[in-house]
Amino acid sequence: MTSKNRGEGGEGILRLTLYVAGQTPKSVAAIRNLERICTEHLGADSYAIEVVDLRVSPHLAREHNIVAIPTLVRQLPVPIQKVIGDLSDTQKVLVSLQVDREG
Amino acid sequence: MSAPELSELRRRLAEAEDTLRAIREGEVDALVVRSVEREQVFHLVGGDETYRAFMESMELGAAALDTEGRLLYVNAALPGLLGVPAETLERQGLLETLGVAGAALRDLLAPEQSCRRSTEVTLSRDGKQRHLLVTAAPLPLPYGKGHALTFTDITQRLDAVAREESERIGRAIMASAIEAVAVCDAQGIVTHASPAATRMLDISPLGLSFSEAFPLAFAPGAGAMEAGDLVAVALRGGAARAMEATLRAGDRARDILLSVSPLRKAGGAVGGCIVTLVDVSERRALEKRQELLMHELDHRMKNMLALVLSISARTLEGATGLQDFAERFTQRLSALAATQDLLAGKVLSGLSLRQLVSTEVAPYVSALSARISMEGLEVEVSRDAAVALGLVFHELVTNAVKYGALSNESGRVSIRAQRPEGGGLEILWEEAGGPPVSPPARRGFGETVIARGLGKFAGGGTAVDYRPEGVTCRMLLTAESLG
Repeated sequence: MTSKNRGEGGEGILRLTLYVAGQTPKSVAAIRNLERICTEHLGADSYAIEVVDLRVSPHLAREHNIVAIPTLVRQLPVPIQKVIGDLSDTQKVLVSLQVDREG
Repeated sequence: MSAPELSELRRRLAEAEDTLRAIREGEVDALVVRSVEREQVFHLVGGDETYRAFMESMELGAAALDTEGRLLYVNAALPGLLGVPAETLERQGLLETLGVAGAALRDLLAPEQSCRRSTEVTLSRDGKQRHLLVTAAPLPLPYGKGHALTFTDITQRLDAVAREESERIGRAIMASAIEAVAVCDAQGIVTHASPAATRMLDISPLGLSFSEAFPLAFAPGAGAMEAGDLVAVALRGGAARAMEATLRAGDRARDILLSVSPLRKAGGAVGGCIVTLVDVSERRALEKRQELLMHELDHRMKNMLALVLSISARTLEGATGLQDFAERFTQRLSALAATQDLLAGKVLSGLSLRQLVSTEVAPYVSALSARISMEGLEVEVSRDAAVALGLVFHELVTNAVKYGALSNESGRVSIRAQRPEGGGLEILWEEAGGPPVSPPARRGFGETVIARGLGKFAGGGTAVDYRPEGVTCRMLLTAESLG
């Protein structure tokens, strides 16, 4: 499992899990796009990201019922939100994560 | 159906629609398929994946970096090429793992570089250096720009170029070497020979064993040494310098100074040997000639001292006083010196009889004078004969000046030489027109020299006849006394 964490868990924090499959182009693109979006639109301590490589640990797909890769899951705040794809559409990602009010 | 259930159904429908859209629009490239027991990841293989499979299977190392130099992708070959596990590359980053070489690669990735460019980097791996050609090209990425890097191992190519260059230099050295040089392989077979080495032999030495190609005989001090033994010493890593030997090729024998040294390959192992043969035949001949000359000089010095002592003693016997002694002794030594001067330019050969006579009479009368006639004197006489004849002519001319044909204004002297039937040379000194002659009351040094001057030459000698009308002196030189 590959993971990247930023910030600590807590009240009001954005907890994100990105599911990838090794170094497929879309997986790599999703990682880069998510890093860019977070850097540009979110406060440094306002989010935590975990990257899950389903090629290494396929059973972890069950928790969030992942079908397509890459998929980004917003775990907190609830309710859970999913963004499917390589996250190249920044506005769509921000809307889905409902962080446009913060950005 | 309750409102929350309806809301959950709507959310799941929207998610399913979004998944289908993402697959349709190519935003995903892998799917998770759940079976009863476990989940499996399946990749959606498109045109990009075909290319990716190609990248994975090729021998070239390949990597993709984003604009910050972060590693996006490495193919299967690159970790092996760099000698670094793929996990290390992914964890530390490509440029960081390569250290100094990575810093060189950063220049290739500078933002202002927009075309393909290459550089060579050197990596140390297992104690050996590997040379890699790294080419960087711009790489469009879904989320921006990046760099595609390919790594080609050019170690063998550079080594081959270096070997070729080394071989070329070696051939040039061999071709220009003045000395004879031969190179043997590990079996002692001659693989290279300089032109000078080939010229020493009647046949080409290439392909023959060294001892077969170069028939060498070593100096007695070397014991039962053979050429093959020296080559064996060099092939075991030893060396020998300036061994004296004789090389017999065809009908010619050469004095040789032989040196052998091992030829080491990369890594230090002995892969053959180099043999240098210096032809010292001419040097040896010069040394022998010099030795001969030194011996001859020593011999002549002793003879000359004995002669001077003899002249001194005999002059003293006939002298009327110190003044008379000084005068005669000086004249006789001068005569001796004059002959030596003539001989000085001719180290071992003789000189012409005409030169000798002209030099000895010169202090008293010109050789070109009508009173002196010479005939048949263009004959070369040996060195020893020249010294004796020089003294004889000196005494004859001083006698003639004092008492004989050259003591008045009208006398003449004839000097003739001819070859008698028995060989050798007969020289006749004949005076005429001088005052009447009477034999001397006692024999002085001059008469002794004349009478005995040539006596020591076997078969030669002098005969003086004090005729009233003029002195005659007949000198007989043996064939050995001629030059």
